[in-house]
Amino acid sequence: MTIAVAIKDLEWKYENTTQFALRKVNLEISENTFLGIVGANEQGKTTLVSCIKGLIPHSFNGVYRGSVEVFGQAVKETSGLHLAREVGLVFADPEAQFTAMTVEEELVFGLENVGYDINKIRERLEWAAEVTQIGNLLDKSPYDISGGQKQRVAIACVLAMDPRIVIMDEPTSMIDPLGKQFIFDILRKLKEEGNRTIIVVEHNIEQLAPLSDQLALIHEGQIVKVAPPDEFFADPQSLIAQGVYPPEVAIFAGWLHSQGYLPDASPIPRDLAEAVAAAQTALKMGSG
Amino acid sequence: MMAALIEISRLDYVYLDGTPALFDVNVTIGEQEFIAFIGQNGSGKTTFSKCLNGLLRPTNGSVTVDGIDTRSKGVIKQLVTKVGYVFQNPDHQLFNDSVEREIAYGPRNIGLPESEVKARVQEAAAVAGVGPDHFATHPFFLTKGLRQRVAIASILALKPRTIIVDEPTTGQDMPQSIEVMNFLQRLWKEEGHTIIIITHEMSIVARYAQRVIALGQGRVLLDGPTREVFSRPDILKQTFVEPPQITRLGQALNPPLPRDVLTVEEMQIAFKGALKQH
Amino acid sequence: MTNGPDELRPARLLIVRGMTIMAAESVPVGVRAPKMRKTLLGYVPIVSPFYDYHPVTRLAMYIFFGVAPVFIDLPEVNVVLLLITIGLLLWGKVDLRRLRIYLPLIATVAMFMFTMVFIFPGQDPSYTPIRIGPATIYYQPVFFTFASYWRLMAMLFGTILYFSTNRERDMLVALRAIRLPFIASYVVGLSIRAAGMFMEDFRTIREAEQARGLDTSAMKLSDQAKLYMMYLIPLFSIALRRADEISNALFARGYTLTGQVEGGGRRSDYILNQYQMTTKDWGWIVIFMALFVAAAVAQYGFGLFRLVNSPLNIYLRSLLGIP
Repeated sequence: MTIAVAIKDLEWKYENTTQFALRKVNLEISENTFLGIVGANEQGKTTLVSCIKGLIPHSFNGVYRGSVEVFGQAVKETSGLHLAREVGLVFADPEAQFTAMTVEEELVFGLENVGYDINKIRERLEWAAEVTQIGNLLDKSPYDISGGQKQRVAIACVLAMDPRIVIMDEPTSMIDPLGKQFIFDILRKLKEEGNRTIIVVEHNIEQLAPLSDQLALIHEGQIVKVAPPDEFFADPQSLIAQGVYPPEVAIFAGWLHSQGYLPDASPIPRDLAEAVAAAQTALKMGSG
Repeated sequence: MMAALIEISRLDYVYLDGTPALFDVNVTIGEQEFIAFIGQNGSGKTTFSKCLNGLLRPTNGSVTVDGIDTRSKGVIKQLVTKVGYVFQNPDHQLFNDSVEREIAYGPRNIGLPESEVKARVQEAAAVAGVGPDHFATHPFFLTKGLRQRVAIASILALKPRTIIVDEPTTGQDMPQSIEVMNFLQRLWKEEGHTIIIITHEMSIVARYAQRVIALGQGRVLLDGPTREVFSRPDILKQTFVEPPQITRLGQALNPPLPRDVLTVEEMQIAFKGALKQH
Repeated sequence: MTNGPDELRPARLLIVRGMTIMAAESVPVGVRAPKMRKTLLGYVPIVSPFYDYHPVTRLAMYIFFGVAPVFIDLPEVNVVLLLITIGLLLWGKVDLRRLRIYLPLIATVAMFMFTMVFIFPGQDPSYTPIRIGPATIYYQPVFFTFASYWRLMAMLFGTILYFSTNRERDMLVALRAIRLPFIASYVVGLSIRAAGMFMEDFRTIREAEQARGLDTSAMKLSDQAKLYMMYLIPLFSIALRRADEISNALFARGYTLTGQVEGGGRRSDYILNQYQMTTKDWGWIVIFMALFVAAAVAQYGFGLFRLVNSPLNIYLRSLLGIP
């Protein structure tokens, strides 16, 4: 299995701060897998993905130790433009990601930067617009559309460049529920296609867990746990103590286990459907 | 019967460019309630909440706050002492160059004497958790959490009975959200305010609100106790809202599990009850 | 947690276990089929014969209607240009009702200009005084103001015509087609966007102030003016924070302000590629440019549009006995 991202002993301290934001982080992300990153605010999640993207150290000053390699290339030594082709990053605030006058121009800008010809640009534009369902927004101003639509445009702009790694930093935190659904649907589609490495930082664990191959918990600048979802939620109390609330059904299933209503071997449900099945089993078991 | 703080009768609202936003809204808001407004974006919930303190005036119908009709002229200074509005982004509401001046801004606007203004600043800052060591700081340099608290203190300084908070927990993690919501809960339980939150987070609504008003396409679709509202996912669907996950679990296995569970703890009790019945 | 309030709900809605539910089928709040769409700087029709012309042609038209009045002092000619502009708006299927938002601006400018000339006519012995009741006005500066006002109106409507018949992408294409340096068209776009966002933030801040008891209708004009200074603080906080985030987003997409392309080579222009110039485009561009140059030459070479040539001026002077 190729390693898409290899992080070794990474440490980072922003200038004018006293604490290290990241402390000896080690992580390997395999190609074409879906990694969910969770954790309380200000614990280092955004800092970590910024390091993978190369924003750190290119756009920030501070102390950088250790290494981050994307498909074998050190991020520290790769140019911004080249990094943009390999790694895409979508930010949390839909208002602060656009500079062009129309959505189409926004999408096409990055493609022109990499020197594609007109036909290739059209191809990438149509594909990205299709996946994110923004075909009808192309000649609107990115300023004039709803928050959820803006975020989809941001995702389309990133996908258009066809990066092998797509990172999203809290993409739905400022979006309404309908918009959130659209975005998680896009993530589902990308996961099904299976030819991209996807890293998503989210507070909405309920929707993140079913999509993730692995979940990583960041606390005080360190990765304290990396595991597939059912293993990740096995100890809900310790997660809650670190500011991460598992999905309600996972907490409930944990309780079912602790009360003996579910056999220890059965996995913690990741979503509602699995929870319904688990609860049915528990009802049967409990009523003997 | 509880005293009505705000009476909304046959309210219509149409924007200046002709877009209709609210249609025939009838709601009564009483003393010491904890209400959540829910509904998709564009459903009218923000427009509705701005009609409650006179920020927007009804196109048709009326909004009466403690006996004052919001369409009357020159009542803004009175209305803001009855209904406070905390906006989503604290940056939009901090316009002074020091925290102390910021919190004093409201009381000064309504013409209170300086001694009263000073007293209110102290009180509001204490309740909102803004330490006096921040008083001289420029709001720009505060952390996001502190800025939110300064915004809340600025509204508390006007001593409104009703406080509307737009998206108190958006973009925050669970511990921060719980902190803000517990604070609002204290204002409700201990200080007797009516709290109205506009939010998308259903698990927060389930845990804190006692009444929910769901809006969709400019109309009130549901208005009642939280438990009742979440037991109607069919209607909530019209405004693209789903009950909390644990509620949906109960609804999927009903019977024997109940349709209106609000929290994991309640589900645990309901589960044990369901087993006993078998 | 206690259950909610027990009050009676209005009878025409269903009451189920103390909860109110919409009884009638959900009637969507009516929305008319839109004929106009909002852009950053105005309203444009969804369909318009103007869209058959290349954006550069429309830009050329703007250069004539919006700028040529600078050369024209004669109010008669400016009024004619103004009427032609309005005619073009109608032909272009622009909904004139949307232009109502400009009425306050037009009225304010008129009031301001005429008040100024009334209070400060300027001193010149050649000015002819005219008594109107207790007040004295001076003919020459008043007529000059009158003529200037119509020039401004002609330019204003020329500009309204441009912003009402060009979508954002059209303006962008026009700038690119005339080979404006990459960074310039980029900055223009950015400024227009920033202005839009500014207005949005401004409105929200206004509401937040009102929520703290600020009653602008009860304020003196001088206090209202001081208020505008106060907006700068929150507007700049927001702008600064946003600028920070935007620069990160730019980096993330490999933006290069120079317009350079990775690996050298020519930069494609996808958007420009979508538009073709036709013969009628070239024809009209030539016509508008010729008219523009002709107007400049007529005025600065032959003084054709100077106020002395105005029939109205000549007529009024004869009435008032001014040589």
